[in-house]
Amino acid sequence: MQILEETSMQALDKARQIGPEGVLKLLEKKGLVGRGGAAFATHKKWRYAIDNANAGDGETFLVCNADEGEPGTFKDKFIIKYNPSTLIEGMLIAAYTVGAKEIFLYLRGEYQYLKQDLQKQIDKTLELAHMDVKFTIVLGAGAYICGEETAILQSIMGFRGHAMAKPPYPTKKGLWGKPTVINNVETLTCVAQAILFDDWDSDIRLFSISGNVQNPGVYEYPLGVKMSTLIEIARPKRKLKAMSFGMFGGIMPINLDMEITPATIKMEECQHGAYSLIFIDETNNVVDICKSIAKFYTYESCGKCTPCREGTIRMLNFIKKIQSGKFTDDDLKLIEELGNHIQETSLCGLGQTSANHVLTALKHFRKDFEAYKK
Amino acid sequence: MKIILDGKELEVEQGKTLLQICTEQGIKIPTLCYHPGLPPEGRCRVCLVELNGKLVTSCNTKPKEGDLVVSRSPKIFAARKMNLELMIPNPACSKEDDFEVCQIYKEVGLDFSRFDKPVTDYKPDLGAAVIRDNNKCINCGRCVKVCSEIQGCYAIDFTSRGHNEHVSPYAEKPLSSVACIRCGQCILNCPVGAISERSHLEEVQEALDNPDKHVVAQTAPSIRVALGELFSMPAGSIVTGKMVASLKGCGFDKVFDVNLGADLTIMEESAEFLKRLTSGGVLPMITTCCPGWILMMEFFHHNLLPHMSTCKSPHEMLGMLIKTYYAQKAGIDPKNIVVVSIMPCTAKKFESTRPELDTAVDYVLTTRELGRLIKRNKIDFLKLEDEAFDPTLGISTGAGAIFGATGGVMEAALRTAYETATKKELENLDFNQIRGINGIKEGTIFVGDKEVKFAVAHGGKNIQELLKKKEDYHFLEMMACPGGCVGGGGQPIYKNPDTLQKRIDAIYKEDKNLPIRKSHENPIIKELYAKYLDYPGSKKAHELLHTKYTLRDRF
Repeated sequence: MQILEETSMQALDKARQIGPEGVLKLLEKKGLVGRGGAAFATHKKWRYAIDNANAGDGETFLVCNADEGEPGTFKDKFIIKYNPSTLIEGMLIAAYTVGAKEIFLYLRGEYQYLKQDLQKQIDKTLELAHMDVKFTIVLGAGAYICGEETAILQSIMGFRGHAMAKPPYPTKKGLWGKPTVINNVETLTCVAQAILFDDWDSDIRLFSISGNVQNPGVYEYPLGVKMSTLIEIARPKRKLKAMSFGMFGGIMPINLDMEITPATIKMEECQHGAYSLIFIDETNNVVDICKSIAKFYTYESCGKCTPCREGTIRMLNFIKKIQSGKFTDDDLKLIEELGNHIQETSLCGLGQTSANHVLTALKHFRKDFEAYKK
Repeated sequence: MKIILDGKELEVEQGKTLLQICTEQGIKIPTLCYHPGLPPEGRCRVCLVELNGKLVTSCNTKPKEGDLVVSRSPKIFAARKMNLELMIPNPACSKEDDFEVCQIYKEVGLDFSRFDKPVTDYKPDLGAAVIRDNNKCINCGRCVKVCSEIQGCYAIDFTSRGHNEHVSPYAEKPLSSVACIRCGQCILNCPVGAISERSHLEEVQEALDNPDKHVVAQTAPSIRVALGELFSMPAGSIVTGKMVASLKGCGFDKVFDVNLGADLTIMEESAEFLKRLTSGGVLPMITTCCPGWILMMEFFHHNLLPHMSTCKSPHEMLGMLIKTYYAQKAGIDPKNIVVVSIMPCTAKKFESTRPELDTAVDYVLTTRELGRLIKRNKIDFLKLEDEAFDPTLGISTGAGAIFGATGGVMEAALRTAYETATKKELENLDFNQIRGINGIKEGTIFVGDKEVKFAVAHGGKNIQELLKKKEDYHFLEMMACPGGCVGGGGQPIYKNPDTLQKRIDAIYKEDKNLPIRKSHENPIIKELYAKYLDYPGSKKAHELLHTKYTLRDRF
């Protein structure tokens, strides 16, 4: 697997040889984009932070987002477990490039058992790197919202994990008001690999596969891989019915011939995010799945903005109403209106995607909903 | 920079938010969580407009060159309405309610919600001054913001998450057992009435209905410049005569003026200050008229105890005199006198329950409660003939009047301190450097050959700022509420930010128009000291007019 190749401090050496500007140009040439879900060009994000730091007092921070809270996503855990040295090297390269003197690694609370080994690896790598940076692992406390980039900053600073309005973006005003770069674990690992290896392929992605399958796990494929290939390797027990992109990305029917790319996923009105694929077989009811997801969002909404705080609980209540059988077509219409409303008016990414599941399920599996009608 | 607003090209200043731009253009946009003095958070999502086809919150969105902004469209109206529907499942406002949100219902055209209310069952938080009912709360967060960012008290914050998120004092305790200074600024900022004062109306009504009780009202300096607002008069209307008439109409036996208590406070406080100044006492001395500030000191600034003046606040002084001097003079058993203070303040409610202060004041009503009492008695406030305060304790000065505005206590004290110390007349009575709405104001005056440096702060954050450099001064005035008592937590709720300045202007106008403007020239004060209290700072004065403080733990 490309992601498991170790760079053994050579990537950092190379970065130091070519200098920050060289790193930015190289990453642009290699076409590295963020792997957290938004696919924003890494070199651009870094350059914004550098420019904003130069306009200010030059102080910047680096945050590695290892708050992998999306259900069905476990690629970051895989990297932290099996290739931590390259991840840390990538972070050091990022800190070197943007001039950060302090690095925070925000580790998901549930990954506490990885912390000790990770800390050892950090100490080891820092000793080899001879770099003057302060490196802190911050342990999350279980809130999904803290994977959102503004909430993660609030949490690191000791405040309530609440999403903040953007702009200003963290690259302008992040930790303690200073430009801050936030990158995902996979992105930072790729930084080191993209810099060192000439044959590094920017189209390779990690797929976290789970659900009603016998071989769940992290798989590596290039974008454009056929759905049938993934299903073959995942080995479902029974006939598959649907696929969910984590909790937030939406639910779509299985189409064996589909080539998985951002564009084809968008055509199904879903969002790829970090490519976490949850396969759902025929023994499941899509409305049940929606109820689980709605429960998840009801619990994980931070509570700050109205549409998300009040909308997610109403969505859950509607799904319960559907399952009770006492509903009309007007209720289904209102669900769609509510879903679109939450998406359009919520403050952060959590709220904006919190209705994807119902909206896509209503589009692709409306019959499942109507079957409840008495 | 040019943008296109509702189809028209418009030249706008860079850095302004869409809400500011629209308001300047006369376009009304409903807001709930927005507070003009604080950075917008975009919590409530009611102020939505369209920016280049996307819905955005206008309070925290700044347009860029050439942006296409739409402030009115079916999509916008539907989205605003739905957010209100989600927030407030039961949008019924009774006739007596004049909450901000009732106005917004009308603007948005909301009369029922399509969503059921999720079950919430919060216990009411009942205290002696400020009470909360979280079941009414819509999580706009303005109370939290004003408590932390303006008052610097951090008594309340959000807790729990998702739809369970709610405002709570530390560790879900009641407000009365956390470090809350009871200033009531949260009440002024609550658009739905989820936070309000602990009402004493029923108790007062009971006393009024009891023929054996002699019920006396005393009104604070800042009530007369704000009460009119509750009866649709413009901000800054002075309604002293109508206020007295309405109180008589409600059944009070006597109406006294706390301005006289303020004059008395000045006599005691300036004497105490001069004593400290000349005999090497602890300086700076800090005023103690504001019960919110006293609580702040007792919770957060224990080291300041020796700096605090020992003077009671004006209404406690006057209340004490009513139950001693006046009772004696009128031949009434003090046990049968009920003193009701009409105050702009919720912290005064707490103050009246302090064991240190005996029971000089029985009940405290806020300006808003007085408005309710007048309405309940079906008194047509606007048509009332002016009446005067009771003559027994009925003359007060401009110095007492300005207690209602930030800087007023200091100005009044300096007028008296200067003249009693130097035996010379002040050339100019107006201390303009400590007037107005600036957070921290300062000045210098020579009292004889001694240079006296003084400063004034209002609002908790400003107080904390001023305390950082307290050593530079001899005399400090602290008021917990922004603007002083005119902006107190018991005052009519206002939305127009000019309101405070208008009330302040009215206060100084009253001072200018009064024949006597210095406390020590008040004939009643002279009589009081000659016949009853001996001299400022005497043993008798100490017994009746001075107090001590209780240091409190924050947790």
